[in-house]
Amino acid sequence: MVRLIAAVVRKDLTLTLLRGNGLVQALLLGLLLFFVFSLSQGVGERASPQSAATVFWLSSTFCQVLIFSQIYALEEITNARFGLLLVPAPIQAVWLGKAIAGFCLLLLAQLVFLPAAIVFLGQTVSGALLPALLALLLVDTGMCALGSLIGALAQGQGTRESLMSIVFFPLLVPLLLAGIGVCSQTLGTESPDDADIWLRLACAFDAVFFGAGLLLFGFLYSGDD
Amino acid sequence: MLKNPVLACILLVAGCFAFACCQWLVYVYAPLEATMGIAQKIFYIHLPLAWWALVSFFVVFLGSICYLLKRSPGFDRLCAAAAELGVLLSGLALVTGALWARKSWGIWWTWDPRLTTTLIMWFVYSGYLVLHGLEMPRQRKTVVCAVLGVVAFLDVPLVFISARIWRSVHPAVFAAGGGGLEPEMKLTVIACVFAFGVFWAGLLLLRMAQLELCARVQALRQGE
Repeated sequence: MVRLIAAVVRKDLTLTLLRGNGLVQALLLGLLLFFVFSLSQGVGERASPQSAATVFWLSSTFCQVLIFSQIYALEEITNARFGLLLVPAPIQAVWLGKAIAGFCLLLLAQLVFLPAAIVFLGQTVSGALLPALLALLLVDTGMCALGSLIGALAQGQGTRESLMSIVFFPLLVPLLLAGIGVCSQTLGTESPDDADIWLRLACAFDAVFFGAGLLLFGFLYSGDD
Repeated sequence: MLKNPVLACILLVAGCFAFACCQWLVYVYAPLEATMGIAQKIFYIHLPLAWWALVSFFVVFLGSICYLLKRSPGFDRLCAAAAELGVLLSGLALVTGALWARKSWGIWWTWDPRLTTTLIMWFVYSGYLVLHGLEMPRQRKTVVCAVLGVVAFLDVPLVFISARIWRSVHPAVFAAGGGGLEPEMKLTVIACVFAFGVFWAGLLLLRMAQLELCARVQALRQGE
């Protein structure tokens, strides 16, 4: 199972990063969001930390939709999905492999989004950095666990990006709140809520959707078209 | 097959009658609330709408699990009917909730766990209905909808907790210490919830019977 997971991760990262389009579409969309939101500020003003954190996670979510749409489309072009289905290993390895590949791609995109938040929205890091890093990893993990499941759900649909968005965004609300809550504290918001409570919520979300992914992916990723 | 519409009609008529009788409890028996006045009466329709919407979504969850285990089309029809009802009732609960919020708190919308959870569920199950209406192979569509039916309900407690951490202003209706309602008000709201439940069951059965007829007509057309 581990070998199949590693093979899926390697294949998806290679195909996504070495192709001409690659991650460019997702990055451009995220950066455009930062630029457009920066227009809401007057000259010399800086966005509130909570607004900046919200734009950061919104960009990440849009980026995530495009990433999972893209990595599940890789097998559709030549019906290579049947090849994966025939591999003598649990099918959940495909879900986990694609989730890990999506996680790596999302982290790469966020490496670009963080400086964009500082430049376009005038932010400075003035709070504790460790909770924000933990929140980033936990929120990304949950987004990828759910994103990999929803990507399989929308697979084969002509309108998969819009379908994924309407299903994915509302389901992600608890994680987005956790991410915004912790990151806005790091960017300087005075909040009575402890970061711990948001981190625990993100852990609970990850656990629930890891379980759901393991149990439900087999129903979605099959040859019954 | 024919039993469902008959039972559905009986339940619908009984529900309508019971809910009409509840209006006497609402406007005559239950006392007028001191600060909100007559506007508080919205509560007696808002609460049954919200509760039966939640029950509808729970039925989608249970029906989806049963479908994934048994692959019986009846469970898919149950889920579709319950999701339609849930979206309709939660939409109406949001509208009545906004009217209540305007009168009670002076705003149309506030970040409250119950309001937020209802809105998020409305979004998710509206997506479910969009998915159910898509043109795709029937077998694939029913499985995809069933998976979404399970995932959507798993998210409900997390949405509720996250919204509660964010901030809350909702009144406690049935709190551990007895809640904030007069006994007459409590009896009235319980009667409204039960009356609306009978109406809800009738609507659910009627819609399931309609969907079954649709499936039969489609099967006959494909056989032509």
